[in-house]
Amino acid sequence: MKVSPKTIRWGLLGLGALLLVIFPILAPGAQYFQTVLILIFLLATMSLGWNVIAGFTGYVSLGQSAFLGIGAYTVGILSMHFHVSPLVFAPLGGVAAGLTAVILGSTITRAREHAYVIITIAFLFLMQALGLNFAGLTGGSAGITLPLPPWSEAIGNMPFYYLLFLIMVVSIVLSWWTRRTKFGMGLIAIREDEDKAAAIGVRTPIYKILATVASGTLIGVAGGVYAYFLSFIDPLGMFNILVSVQIVLACLVGGRGTIWGPVLGAFLVVPMNEITNGVASAQGVHLFVFGIVLGAVVMFLPRGILPTLREWWERRHAQTVAFERRSSSDNHRAAVRILERPPEPITGPLLQVDGLVKRFGGLTAVDGCSFGVNEGTITGLIGPNGSGKTTVFNMITGMFRADAGKINLADRRIDRLPPWQRAYQGLGRTFQTTRLFPEMTVVENVVAPLRQFRWDNLAADSVTGREGKRAEELLDFVGMAHFAEQKAQKLSFGQQKLVELAQILMLEPRLILLDEPMGGINPGLIERISWLIRELNRQGLTFLIVEHNMPVVLQTCDPILVMARGKVIAQGHPDMIQSDPVVLDAYLGEDWAKPAERKEA
Amino acid sequence: MIQLVQTILLGLLIGGVYALFASGLTLIFGVMEIVNVTHAAFLVFAALLTFEIWSRLHIDPLLAILITTPVMFFVGWGTYRLTISRIRSAPVSMSVVLTFALAIAIEGAMGMTWKNVFRSVTPSYFNQSFNIGPFDLPKAQVYGCGAAVVVLVALYLLLSKTWAGRAIRSSSENPQGAQLVGIDIKTVAALTFAIGTATTGAGGSIMSVLYSVFPASLYLWVSRLLGIIVLGGMGSLPGAVIGALALGVAETLTSTYVSNQWAVVVYYIVILVVLLIRPQGIMGFKARQDVVA
Repeated sequence: MKVSPKTIRWGLLGLGALLLVIFPILAPGAQYFQTVLILIFLLATMSLGWNVIAGFTGYVSLGQSAFLGIGAYTVGILSMHFHVSPLVFAPLGGVAAGLTAVILGSTITRAREHAYVIITIAFLFLMQALGLNFAGLTGGSAGITLPLPPWSEAIGNMPFYYLLFLIMVVSIVLSWWTRRTKFGMGLIAIREDEDKAAAIGVRTPIYKILATVASGTLIGVAGGVYAYFLSFIDPLGMFNILVSVQIVLACLVGGRGTIWGPVLGAFLVVPMNEITNGVASAQGVHLFVFGIVLGAVVMFLPRGILPTLREWWERRHAQTVAFERRSSSDNHRAAVRILERPPEPITGPLLQVDGLVKRFGGLTAVDGCSFGVNEGTITGLIGPNGSGKTTVFNMITGMFRADAGKINLADRRIDRLPPWQRAYQGLGRTFQTTRLFPEMTVVENVVAPLRQFRWDNLAADSVTGREGKRAEELLDFVGMAHFAEQKAQKLSFGQQKLVELAQILMLEPRLILLDEPMGGINPGLIERISWLIRELNRQGLTFLIVEHNMPVVLQTCDPILVMARGKVIAQGHPDMIQSDPVVLDAYLGEDWAKPAERKEA
Repeated sequence: MIQLVQTILLGLLIGGVYALFASGLTLIFGVMEIVNVTHAAFLVFAALLTFEIWSRLHIDPLLAILITTPVMFFVGWGTYRLTISRIRSAPVSMSVVLTFALAIAIEGAMGMTWKNVFRSVTPSYFNQSFNIGPFDLPKAQVYGCGAAVVVLVALYLLLSKTWAGRAIRSSSENPQGAQLVGIDIKTVAALTFAIGTATTGAGGSIMSVLYSVFPASLYLWVSRLLGIIVLGGMGSLPGAVIGALALGVAETLTSTYVSNQWAVVVYYIVILVVLLIRPQGIMGFKARQDVVA
């Protein structure tokens, strides 16, 4: 009989869980091992929390243990004043940690990369200092002594054991569920490319705040239980950066961004601590070993055990994907309908840009740029390198804020809106160097865009039936259906361009900005992309295209806008543009010959 | 009034020393975008080394700078070659985790060697003061600040007047451009890390006179130094000097007029507020982020 790997995996997990459940009953006297397991459950819970913010969302924090301290102190302080079982307050520890997480999470809407790590370090030390200094509330450095458990010695630590085990299991389930939802997918998108995520409709601040709350709340509850277990808490022990570092180590060893990595890591890190603490009681040895192990993991096993194993497995069981050959006639297949309903009628141009200015220090990249794009056109935007074309794109999509000027889309002013709001208004954009989410599969990339923000949508499955079908249609439309399950980073540049186009079509955009869609790809693909653009335009989609391939621009676009030194210097029909002396001087060059004339020559 | 001026003068003296402590950290961040938490561990290590030199060889701690600086230069070079160079392509945040790991390992090694005991170097002048009019300035602070200024000036001259210094600065401003004009940026990175770490030699020697040092005191310095370079603008040397002077005064004022235990909170608040409101600090600049290679 052949057993599938899935059955084996679930069987092992079930067996492991069963062993952990019956262990205290079978060996009630093994207090030491119970304590070790309690520490493992606690570290696994904290590491799972860290994984949500650092593994899924990509924000490395060294202040994660602050949530433990906040939960512990909430329970400790309350149990000084109310004489009921401290366990009653453990959920409030979670609430306190969650509220703190809202504040900390709000900071990552502004701070990125190293700034966030530094903020979390400062945050943890600040909590510790407040714990020490507000002695009236916290007992200061003398700490808080909690009451001893009222139950008999025969029961021992069992309640703590089962409670922390339960919290760990809930953390695992929540991690697993988060990863499957639209919320989790948005977090991964933020990790992979935050600006791009915003441009396709992911409302990044809400996602980041929720991720921080999700990462901290259960740690707060666990902290409350842990405080009662310890029966003594003090600021140095509860707001300890070394605990944070252990959390990081557990997750990194096991595998950042995976569900089981943090759990596996906790099962490795806690015993390592116990051994180094036991063998050499001197504090130094323990720290030395710990530092060396963490350093070695960062340098030599940066992806962690589980992802490394998976990669090895996949390499041994590699499957080849047949490359899809198409003749040009395949291009003329029936296209999918992009806009499900006709857009609201508008009075003026679809996009109107007025007097845009953008300065970078002393350099004025865009200097009073004004133009309009009429609905239903394929408008070209050409000009020499450095004339400000991409900067204008960045201001239209909201990656940059303009220093002056106005942008209207479909009669609505958008230049103060965040990027995701602009996406909801019907704006889609591709990038000069494609920006797919490299670790996601092609189909995940295509379903990632959001047409609106809805709270209930956060909990929806990341790939639902309807959206999955839609993604399939769109991928088929651009000719990439065969690659749906491949990771985006494995695709060639040209293939990525096609997938990125399918991705923004998911937004049902009214206006599509393409930044050099023909750059760096082969002639066959140029033809295919030109056809796609014309086909989509036939359906009523409007394009604004930056492109240097002049024959394609002249063939595809009408009208054409010409930018130089940060302004639009000419606009009109391709024929007009080609003979305009201003354009010849600024961009095409004096010796430019119209393609028609060139053929004759 | 006299107390206020006295406090500010003392704060400036302390700030001058802090400027030296932070200079290597900001230099390393500026050139290689690494938040080098190990820097604080190196400072404590150099201070303990100075303690050994002073107690065994009876060399004045400020003279010991001539020994500790080259030692720390090679420690820095070796650390870069063995560890940091392996993760240059990893995200900045992972470099924080790595340098934190190194700091913990060094803390452990120091704990094994020196035990968790407070140590400070006590040359004849450590508890004497200069009396200038109504003001009372501890000799150790004045000498320490003087030595720090000398080392900072030497560092400034090294960076601005020598070819190696220009190579370092150009790598800091535009690594690709530097590579194109023939600068081996890997060697420059190792050199920068070594020079940055060498400042902890002088810094640690001065620290050994001014502070009681033990292995875990590195954590206090992590937050102090981060506060200084964040306020000044990460990567800017003049910024580090301004940040150090400002925070030296702020810390001294807080411990005089509020209490000692709130003094360190100033740093945490500064880090949080600056990074949230003006992430580029006082002297830093906002680089244009959209340029794609």
